[in-house]
Parts: sequence; C-alpha cells; structure tokens
Amino acid sequence: MNKSDMRYMKKEFYFTKIIRTEILFTPLLIGLPLVVGFLFIYDWYFRGILEGTTAFDGEFVIGIIIIIGNIAFGIPFIKSLKVLSKKK
Amino acid sequence: MVNVTEKFKDAKEIINSLDFDAHWYRRVFHTFGASFLFYYILPDIDWINILKLWIPPLIVIFVIILELLRLTGKISSNHFFGLRMYEKKRIGSYVFFAVAILILLRFFPQQIAIPCILCATLGDPIIGEIRRNFSMKYVYLFGFLVCMFFFIITWFKSDVFLMILVSIIGGFGAIIGETKKFWWLDDDFMIQMIPAFLLLIIWFSIPYFGLAYPGEIIYQMPVVW
Repeated sequence: MNKSDMRYMKKEFYFTKIIRTEILFTPLLIGLPLVVGFLFIYDWYFRGILEGTTAFDGEFVIGIIIIIGNIAFGIPFIKSLKVLSKKK
Repeated sequence: MVNVTEKFKDAKEIINSLDFDAHWYRRVFHTFGASFLFYYILPDIDWINILKLWIPPLIVIFVIILELLRLTGKISSNHFFGLRMYEKKRIGSYVFFAVAILILLRFFPQQIAIPCILCATLGDPIIGEIRRNFSMKYVYLFGFLVCMFFFIITWFKSDVFLMILVSIIGGFGAIIGETKKFWWLDDDFMIQMIPAFLLLIIWFSIPYFGLAYPGEIIYQMPVVW
C-alpha cells in the first residue's frame, strides 16, 4: 500500500454539497461513549463503593479509559472543525 | 412569521460551509466503538436479551448492505466521509471493524473481548497518531505497551503469572494485527481477532496450568423496575 492510497477520498469531492451525515453523527460520536463511560463509573460507585466491594473496580477503570480516550480524540476533532469553519 | 423554508436554507448553507478533518473524524469513529461495551452492562431481562441477540447482527447486516450498495455504485462514495483511497474499490474498514466487534461480543468471553475491543477502539487511534508523528520503531514499542496495558487492566483479577502472560501475548498479537496491512483484510479486523484467538488458546489452557478463570469485569445491571 503506497502513501497515495492512504489519502482520504473526500478530498477529491471537496465541494460536494449534501446535508452532511458527519454533522448529524457528531453528537452521537462524541456523546455516546462519554455516557457509557459515566454509566460504568455510576455502576462502580453505587454497586461497588456504597456496597463496599471491589468487584466493580474493573468497571471504574474501563469507564475512566473510555472517557479519557474520547476526550483526547474528541477535542482535536472539534477544534479541527472550528479552525476549518473559521477559514471558510 | 418566520419563514421556515428560508431558515432551513440558511441552516443547510451553514452546514455545507463547515468542514471536518477526515483524519480526526476517523479517529473519533474508532473511539466511538468503545460504546459497544455497553452490551455487557445491560440487565438480564427477556426483552433486553432479545434486543442483545438481534440488534448487533442487524447493525452489521445494515453496514454490509450499505457497503455493497457503495461498491456496486448504487450509492456514491461521496456520501461516505473519511474513506481512504485504497477503500474506493475495496470493502471499507468500518465493515471489518463492525464484523470483528460482533464476533467478539457474540462468541468470546468478555475477558477476551473487552481488551481486544479496546485495542481497536483506543489502541488503534493512539498507534495511528504515533505513526503519524514519530518513526515506525516507536509504533512497535509504544503500540505494544498501550495494547499490553488494556490486557493488564482487564485481567487484573487473575493470577499474576496469567496476567503477565496474557498481556504480553495479547499486546504482541494486537501490534502484529495493526502493523501488518493487507489489501483484502483490514487491520481493524486483525487488531481484534489475532489477540482474541491467541487468548482463546490460553483460555482453554488455564485449567491445565492449575489456575482459576478470572472473574468478569463488567457486570449486568440489576433490574430496577
């Protein structure tokens, strides 16, 4: 696979004007993983911490990882959107 | 009175004037996949079990049909944002991604499925960023460590020997799956399935080591209504 294959196809069709599916998906792409991450933490707190058991610690760790991972990639994604819209 | 048609036209123009960075869009699409771990926390109720049984394969079937329509030209590739050039005449990586997650959720124990899904959803974009900004030697080293970390945190309830063995083999399998690229088989599939099959061998060998199976990581929520 050469470098030109790794380019994104959209650049060829840069001026395609349609109601953009990516915009409709954005709140879901960013929001749902955060909701799931917080749900794991919520479950860890109510069934683990309040009940005094460590069995749910794995849920806490996974919840934190999902949240951090999504924020780490979600922020540059939203920033890239703002930069491009300003350029326009 | 507000002219709805005019407002809609304005909104459409604003939407069309915005643009997304395909690179970051693809990364976020990966991290979104971690949401599927929600599957394991759903309570054990008949109607939810039916949804759990049918919704994941239906999503995959929908994605496959969509991809078939794109490849046969019935839907233009213009509508698929973030596709790479090599995916123009090949099955898109999102199909491989979805199929691998379905196989893991359905056929593998969660102790194997969870770290493999995390490798694809979070490990893959991290490795992609390392590849983009540093040389390949860092990709192997840090990619291995990142994937190893996902196996450690999901096998922390097991014996220390087992945890170390699983994390090394799992991390090794994930980095092989990520770095070896084929035109016909995507790394989004390989990064999940190679470590999963390697871990399945270990899973069946656990009784022969005289060790106990690790406990579940995510527990089903109790029925609250």
